[in-house]
Amino acid sequence: MNDKYIKNTLNNIKREKLLSITNVSIMTLTFLILGIFITVIAVSQSILRTLEQQAQVTIFFKDDFTEDKILALKDQLSGDERIFNINFVSKEDAYNIFREINKDDPILLESVTSSILPASLEVRAKDLGDLPKLAEEFNQFDGVEEVRFFSDVIGRFKKFSTIAYTAGFVLVFVFFVISYSVVIATLRTTIHSKGTELEVMKLVGATNAYVKMPLIYQGIFYGFVASFVSGALLVFVINIMVHFRAVPVSIGLGFLPNFSISSLLFSFILWFVLILSGALLGFLGSFFAVKRYLKY
Amino acid sequence: MLIDFREVTKEYEEGLKALDEVSFAIDNGEFVFVVGESGAGKTTLVKMLIREEFPTSGQVLFEETDVHTLEGDDISHLRRKIGVVFQDYKLLKTHTVFENVAVALEVADTPDDVIRSVVPNVLSLVNLGHKMHSFPNTLSGGEKQRVSIARALAHEPDVLVADEPTGMIDPKSAAEVMEILEKINSLGTTILMATHNKEIVNAMKKRVIKLEHGKVISDKKKGSYE
Repeated sequence: MNDKYIKNTLNNIKREKLLSITNVSIMTLTFLILGIFITVIAVSQSILRTLEQQAQVTIFFKDDFTEDKILALKDQLSGDERIFNINFVSKEDAYNIFREINKDDPILLESVTSSILPASLEVRAKDLGDLPKLAEEFNQFDGVEEVRFFSDVIGRFKKFSTIAYTAGFVLVFVFFVISYSVVIATLRTTIHSKGTELEVMKLVGATNAYVKMPLIYQGIFYGFVASFVSGALLVFVINIMVHFRAVPVSIGLGFLPNFSISSLLFSFILWFVLILSGALLGFLGSFFAVKRYLKY
Repeated sequence: MLIDFREVTKEYEEGLKALDEVSFAIDNGEFVFVVGESGAGKTTLVKMLIREEFPTSGQVLFEETDVHTLEGDDISHLRRKIGVVFQDYKLLKTHTVFENVAVALEVADTPDDVIRSVVPNVLSLVNLGHKMHSFPNTLSGGEKQRVSIARALAHEPDVLVADEPTGMIDPKSAAEVMEILEKINSLGTTILMATHNKEIVNAMKKRVIKLEHGKVISDKKKGSYE
């Protein structure tokens, strides 16, 4: 980097204090809104993913299929990549659940014993779309009495969550474009307001680099400061919210079933992405805005 | 030859000719007026010399180089050899008088200590040494024009081109500006001044090139503007 260009950049910023503060404020606000938006989408998709994982297939076993065999089957199924988790519900567990549900109906409780209720495996899939296929496979196993899952509800939920994931990504992309436009328009306005200065510089013999570089550095500086401040604010707020359990401890993305990171790490990645976007936008915005003044 | 216009024609898309086969040459150290009514082609001629405009045909040579073949930083170097004074001064409002003049040196990567010694010198040459730290909005029209001249002189150009430098100032200030230009010329700098101010041209008794509808209709040593 040329010292002279850096000196001129700092002089420009000092000379236009109010404009610099306004620019950085507008850009900080834009990055802050973008960051909040990305966080809200990521958190809502994580919640949706958690809800998806609550959907389950229940395999009920015949009375003569012993608990050992069920547990062996459970171990075997644990190796299946499509399965998120398996929960064994013994006859006693089923009876306890039954008692809990029907605790206000003593006549019904008296008529039922644990031997009547079947043992079962509750299977949750990583991807909601795998549940029907899994249910079909479970039906072929020995000792299976019945495989139950709410195919209609799951089908509709799957459709809804796919739309929600797609809409989330589209919205983030759209908001990225809007933020980029705001930042680029802000930088263009700043540079266009210096039109006479750039014209005079050229007429007295300034080289392209002399005119261009301080403005590009200025753009990068604004972008960096704005994204740094907004990112820092987001890290602070997200971590406060995690502390108060207002957002989940870990965040996943809808389209990546196995992907999940801690909210703390998410906030730092978001900060990094914002800084990168800020500096890049500052560079691109000022580069294109200044280009029109460099036509000799 | 310092400046050489060879059959230069500038025709705009509408078929309007701003310059029509203009030819003339200027030697080192000359003081030349280019006169003519508004729209005669004076400003186009000035812009042609600093490569702000391109000719439709013909050549503009500066120190034997066709200025329109220059590219990139060579254009910047050409402009450092030609000091330009504009009718509307083109001063930077947010810069002091000192800074406005210093711009011409800064763009040429002149060291700060040289800038600190050169700028006060050129400002005293135009009698503005005492206004070094003033901003343009506190200056009169004549003073602004003198700052513009100081800026044009800062990098010791081979030629000083002035486009209607007295066009926006009162007669007394105009006389001061002409006095300064004559002093600069006597120190060896070539002056090319576009104007339609008959009194000034007739009082100076210098070479006069007269333009009419883009054509040179007369070119006289010690001429006048009737």
